[in-house]
Amino acid sequence: MNIIETHGLTKTFGNNGVAVHALRGIDLTVARGEFVALVGPSGSGKSTLMAILGCLDSPTEGRYLLDGEPVEGLSGPALARIRNEKVGFVFQNYNLLPKASIARNVELPLLYAGVPRRQRRQRALELLERVGIPEKANVLPAVLSGGQRQRVAIARALANNPAILLADEPTGALDSKTGAEVLELFQELHGHGNTVILVTHDAHNASLAERQVELYDGVIRNTEAA
Amino acid sequence: MLSGAFRERTLAAWVEIRENLARSILQTLGVTLGVASVLGGFSISDSQRRHSDDAWAKRGGFDKLNVQPSAAIKDGTTPSALQNANLGLRRDDASDGERLGAKVVDAVSVEKFARLRVRSPFGDQERQITGIAADYLPLNGYEIERGRAFSAEDISKATAVCVLGAEASSVFFPGGDAVGQVIRVGDIPVTVVGVLKEKIFHWRESEGNVFAWRNRIVALPAPLVARRMQGDAYHRVDRVVFKIPNMDVMQDFTKGLTSALKTSHRLQEDFRIDDIAARVRKRRSQGEVYNIIFMLAGIVSLIGGGMVNVNIQLATLKERVREVGVKMAIGASGREVFKEFMTEAMLLSGLGAVLGFAVGVAFSKIITAVLEIPLYMDPKSFLWAFLLAGLFGFVFALYPAFKASRQSPMEALRYE
Repeated sequence: MNIIETHGLTKTFGNNGVAVHALRGIDLTVARGEFVALVGPSGSGKSTLMAILGCLDSPTEGRYLLDGEPVEGLSGPALARIRNEKVGFVFQNYNLLPKASIARNVELPLLYAGVPRRQRRQRALELLERVGIPEKANVLPAVLSGGQRQRVAIARALANNPAILLADEPTGALDSKTGAEVLELFQELHGHGNTVILVTHDAHNASLAERQVELYDGVIRNTEAA
Repeated sequence: MLSGAFRERTLAAWVEIRENLARSILQTLGVTLGVASVLGGFSISDSQRRHSDDAWAKRGGFDKLNVQPSAAIKDGTTPSALQNANLGLRRDDASDGERLGAKVVDAVSVEKFARLRVRSPFGDQERQITGIAADYLPLNGYEIERGRAFSAEDISKATAVCVLGAEASSVFFPGGDAVGQVIRVGDIPVTVVGVLKEKIFHWRESEGNVFAWRNRIVALPAPLVARRMQGDAYHRVDRVVFKIPNMDVMQDFTKGLTSALKTSHRLQEDFRIDDIAARVRKRRSQGEVYNIIFMLAGIVSLIGGGMVNVNIQLATLKERVREVGVKMAIGASGREVFKEFMTEAMLLSGLGAVLGFAVGVAFSKIITAVLEIPLYMDPKSFLWAFLLAGLFGFVFALYPAFKASRQSPMEALRYE
């Protein structure tokens, strides 16, 4: 069964004057448990597509089914709920809350999901263990290295067992060695059955995925298995 | 409250406040000053009122109606025979008034003044003599220290007895107990049957006793003064006081009394009725003005502080756009973001209010110390100040919180 199904997604920015067509009819399907790399030059619409797939933004037109559920045209609170339950984001610059401890950062999606405190803490510790930094639960993000921060971000993304993991250039701010380790972690997660969508313009990174989807000028130019 | 979300929000808000201490202090400043102003203002006016209430309580309360004789004859006019025949205020007027207001009058006192020589083995002075009847002593807040007050029989039979104020007692009997001793008032020997407790009241601690003159009293039964010392067979009196605890009936009673007295005084208004309570209330209502001014000053600083808050919150919102974006990306709804901002603002208001309490208490202490009056703080003032701070804190937090909650997560994440 497909976890992601889009039909003719378009996204146009600017309503009067100059209209920018960021996406022009995207038909994309991603199967459950697949590892897909979304590639393309800057300005190709990668980020816009990722925002729509992650329910941060709504398409101008077209249909989008996430986990079998149509999400286009949903209200703000409904989208927030879907982001909370079905999407795990990993950003290039980690986007951890600097004033909250590592454990609290990881707990935050659980808090928004209404998980009780004890269970939240327990789950956060499990997740930190899984990403390999169990001993850092009570420190602030500032004391961690970039690779460790990205691991925390991954732990946070996994908190609610999301249907898809959306990683936007997750190694962009890391040196090649740490970057490789983080990618290894993604592969490991994929091995455990997680659906991973990796946005990148690094050809090597993209080659680690099962399938590459290449975007160019807002349309899918090429989709090939690795 | 579910899943401790409220607790988490409060905790996060606390961290935010602590991490930005300077900014947070600036934000609480308006609330602090507003609360301090409301609390301080209320406390000072409460203290003053309490102090003046105290003075009135020691004077036997202010729920009194005074009736005194006054000249019915205007200057420069020849009095008519009718006017000349008038006797002024008499003892009967007191009993008429009491009958008239049987339901509303709590106590009546009658006074008859004279100025006579008072002699004892230890002192010889000319003194004001107060002839008293009925409830004079309790009505004027006098209490017996030793001996007894006059009995009804003492008054009706004009017995030669007297009660001395604390000062009078120590002047005429400096050695000790005056009760049972004899003094001469004018030509008449009278027995001291009671000594009054000393009355003390200081408007300011460093100032003298304003009730000192009350301790000089030499009280005799009024009929004794009228009949044997002044040879007045008409029982004329110098003042009649009615105690009327129910202020609402005061006006009606005054009207009834005026017309009753006029009737029995041959339609002459040779008396003056003075509503003490009305006078006190008037002064009180002037005091209320200060309360309103303090309250307004508090509200103005709360509004000022509130606007500063809105400004700071909107400015910091720019810094925090990204944070909001991240929270939204991981599933915070706009509602959640709104709540987080509100929690922070309300926590700030609460802290500001507590700080304001401290400043307000200090402020009240200083002012009452300068005024040298005892400090009295009504718990209600704290409640008022807190509620106002909460209200303004809430209202001014709404806009920034609303604005934060309405951000698009996409835009917020892209914000640099």
